Amino acid sequence: MDGAAVDTRLASAAPSRDGSGFFRRHGHLLLLAPGVIWMVLFLIVPLAMMVYVSFWTQTTFAIKPDLTLKSWATFFASETYFGALLRTLRIWLTVLLLTFLFGYPTALYIGQFVRNKTVQTILLVACVIPFWTSFLIRVLAWRPMLGKEGAINIVLQGLGIIDHPIEVLLFTELSVIIGMVQIYVVFMVGPVAFMLARIDDSLFEAARDLGASPMTIFRKITFPLSLPGVVVGAIFVSVMVLGEFATASALSGRKVNLLGNIIVTQVGSLKWAFAAVIGVVLTVVMATVITALLRVVNLRREL
Amino acid sequence: MMELIRLTKAYKGVPAVRDVFLIVREDEYLTLLGPSGSGKTTLLRLLSGLEKPDAGQIHLNGEDVTYRPPHLRGLGIVQQNYALFPHMSVEDNVAFGLRYRLIDPVTDEGEVKRRVAETLELVGLTGFEARMVGQISGGQKQRVSLARTLVTRPKICLLDEPLGALDANLRERMTVELRKIRETLGVTFLHVTGNETEALAMGDRMVVLDKGSIVQADRPDVIFSMPSDVRVARFVNTYNVLEGAVRDGEFQSAGQAMTLPEYARGSEAGFYAIRQDAVEINAAGTVPGPGRTGLQATYIASEFLGSRFAYIFRMPNGGVFEVERHLSHSDPVTYKGGEACSLSWNLSDALVFDPSGAALETTVFKGAA
Amino acid sequence: MNQNAAIRTLLALYTALFLAFLYGPFVVMAIISFQQGPEGGPQFPIIEWSTFWYKHVLGFAPPSRVAPLPIGEALTRSLTLAFATMVVSTVLGTLTAQAFRSQFKGSGFVFYLVVLGMMVPGVLLGLGMALVADQFGIDRNWWSTAFVLHVVYTYPFAFLVMLAIFNRFDKSIEEAAWTLGVPPGRTFRKVTFPMIFPGVLSAMLFAFTLSYDEFPRTLFTGGREVTMPIAIYGTFAVEIHPNLFAFGVLTTLFSFALLTIYGVLMSMSVRRARLRATGLQEDVA
Repeated sequence: MDGAAVDTRLASAAPSRDGSGFFRRHGHLLLLAPGVIWMVLFLIVPLAMMVYVSFWTQTTFAIKPDLTLKSWATFFASETYFGALLRTLRIWLTVLLLTFLFGYPTALYIGQFVRNKTVQTILLVACVIPFWTSFLIRVLAWRPMLGKEGAINIVLQGLGIIDHPIEVLLFTELSVIIGMVQIYVVFMVGPVAFMLARIDDSLFEAARDLGASPMTIFRKITFPLSLPGVVVGAIFVSVMVLGEFATASALSGRKVNLLGNIIVTQVGSLKWAFAAVIGVVLTVVMATVITALLRVVNLRREL
Repeated sequence: MMELIRLTKAYKGVPAVRDVFLIVREDEYLTLLGPSGSGKTTLLRLLSGLEKPDAGQIHLNGEDVTYRPPHLRGLGIVQQNYALFPHMSVEDNVAFGLRYRLIDPVTDEGEVKRRVAETLELVGLTGFEARMVGQISGGQKQRVSLARTLVTRPKICLLDEPLGALDANLRERMTVELRKIRETLGVTFLHVTGNETEALAMGDRMVVLDKGSIVQADRPDVIFSMPSDVRVARFVNTYNVLEGAVRDGEFQSAGQAMTLPEYARGSEAGFYAIRQDAVEINAAGTVPGPGRTGLQATYIASEFLGSRFAYIFRMPNGGVFEVERHLSHSDPVTYKGGEACSLSWNLSDALVFDPSGAALETTVFKGAA
Repeated sequence: MNQNAAIRTLLALYTALFLAFLYGPFVVMAIISFQQGPEGGPQFPIIEWSTFWYKHVLGFAPPSRVAPLPIGEALTRSLTLAFATMVVSTVLGTLTAQAFRSQFKGSGFVFYLVVLGMMVPGVLLGLGMALVADQFGIDRNWWSTAFVLHVVYTYPFAFLVMLAIFNRFDKSIEEAAWTLGVPPGRTFRKVTFPMIFPGVLSAMLFAFTLSYDEFPRTLFTGGREVTMPIAIYGTFAVEIHPNLFAFGVLTTLFSFALLTIYGVLMSMSVRRARLRATGLQEDVA
């Protein structure tokens, strides 16, 4: 075959490639552009602004773009603010652990023991239904639950388990934790149940045929395979708990101040620079937690 | 007519189609045989425009269509998994192309209905118009898929392993019907398959593809009797291929020496192939007659294949040697497992390939003989 | 096997308790919503059963010291905002997911950029947006600054839902349409969209619900005209009254009704499709 002759024909084919080729090869850019532009403008720019403003100078009611580390120094020097960071971390870890402990057995039941798809869906929907009530109202509903004359104390006294009402239930750190666990535990149940439901039944049968005990099956098969679900659930719960402020202000009687609460108060008193500092601290905490969790599981692959 | 010129495509640096030249003629049934991974599906996707080549050109009736998107090519493709529209009835599936195509859509519903009915009749699905595609069998889905493509009168109809998902019975019936349908319409069919029997039986012409390149393109009977490459001999699956080398004027393989046919004497040879049905089985130690050669092997087992018997032998080096006997020619003979036999064949039936795999003889030579 | 049955029973019991824990506050809320009014507070004991707080929410109660909830405007704003958010985020999510169907460079970066929108706590985003608005002299309104943040929040959810839908979508069906001569745009309308529609619907449902209930982002960026969640949050500072609980019961019932209608419609359309198919099958036979 005459290579040179063919080469000239190839060259003459070039225009047709450019003519119809651009959209086909770069069409995804047009599809991506709206979303990416939206996210850059309304997500990246505000976050960058927050970091920038955290170095500004705060006057009584305004901020000036003179760069300073003063707000940062105040944060780390102040018992109140640094304490809030520690408290936020403590409550986050407690809630995370409790949502896992309370949520996992339910997820195990729904995902593995209920093998009827309809019943599975009904149980999952039953877990989601409370979300149809406004988040804030759900939080407030804990007040008549936990109060001194609340439902729990009435029931416990009626059963004769206690003589005097338990007073630490409401307006304490405990009430904040109870409220958060109830509100967020479903975010742990969902992903774990989903992962468990995906496991092929034949895997368990094979393990049982090989004489593995239920405990061994759980340790060697069920738990490792549900781990991505646990991580996804942990990401959900962490993201929501770390940024929380409403539950704390509703159920602690303003005694428990998380980083989120401080931001709200600072913004309320127009202390923008200081609010920004706390915002950056919260971002760093959040980024660390999520990066660590994403190391364990590849979110994109699990979808 | 469609011409492929030096068509090349790689996925992430791994070549899938390499330097392919091919001419698809008007009104022919062309089969494309290749093992899985040979690039046959990629080639089909390049032709239909679903993939863009890295280099090379595709000409359709003299026009360069290399980078033309699929909906402007006027080709049809029948996919392996049928790819029917699950939310539509059989009729709407078949009518889809006529109604919504960019070029020359049919706007008259009566005309659409008439053409759909005509095509459904051609594929034997009259009366199935209103069914949803979830409610018909696999074989029927395949016919709908075919009808959906044919109703648009494509210049070339590309079929991607169309019989792959059918059971043996249906396969055989469709083999006949596909040829009949094609002849009725006069449309060129390009049928991609991994099954050598299908490729040999259905094609007016056949192309053998290996590792992204075309190894041989010819009439099926020519490919069958005169494979141009040892790989082709292997794909058609009716040859015993022995690997070895020439020493002292004889082909040495499996610790045995075979006489070379006349045309191959004096050349370098790397492979020796003999058709399974050209071999005679004799008692151990029988010396081949004049013009014949052979080897010694141990009988292992036989397999009944309906109209024929396959006898399986083991050669001294452990390789397997198969012999086929048509029951119309001879009654089945039973051998004892482990029995030593002498196998022999006519020298003129043997094919010899050089160490790179290319056939030593030329078709001209053989044709003359 | 026996051991297995025991575990199963135990877990079933536990799950029942778990559901009781989830629904406990809701039940209490429903009881308290029937508290006597306007003197009765949001706690036990029930002084006298009454529907006063329901009348109060709906604006039929005589004026009292308890200010009525701004249902008229706030609820309308919330629903409008949720609707707009739903439309925009579903469109964006579908577009982006469509782009992700083919491999492209930087897909990892875009993926995490989008997913970041649901990961960043609302209070941070609200703060950042408020700072931007403050510095650039942009007015803060529920339909501008709050709306864009709602989309930032719900678009990742819509994107993930659509991504999952497209992952299960058989591309060869679209390719079949193209090779029949149908251009890509028309193929999307006639083939792809009808097939992914259930997914789009659930993405819309997700976006609507999330936006309707959103408040940390709205708190700093919503301006003076409050949405429903902000109105409720406002009552935190002062005293809370059972009218909130009555409102909670009403909205829950309302969304239940909507969901039921949606479910009935879906199952009806499925049954109709099936009926149509089987009916015609009988005709053929």
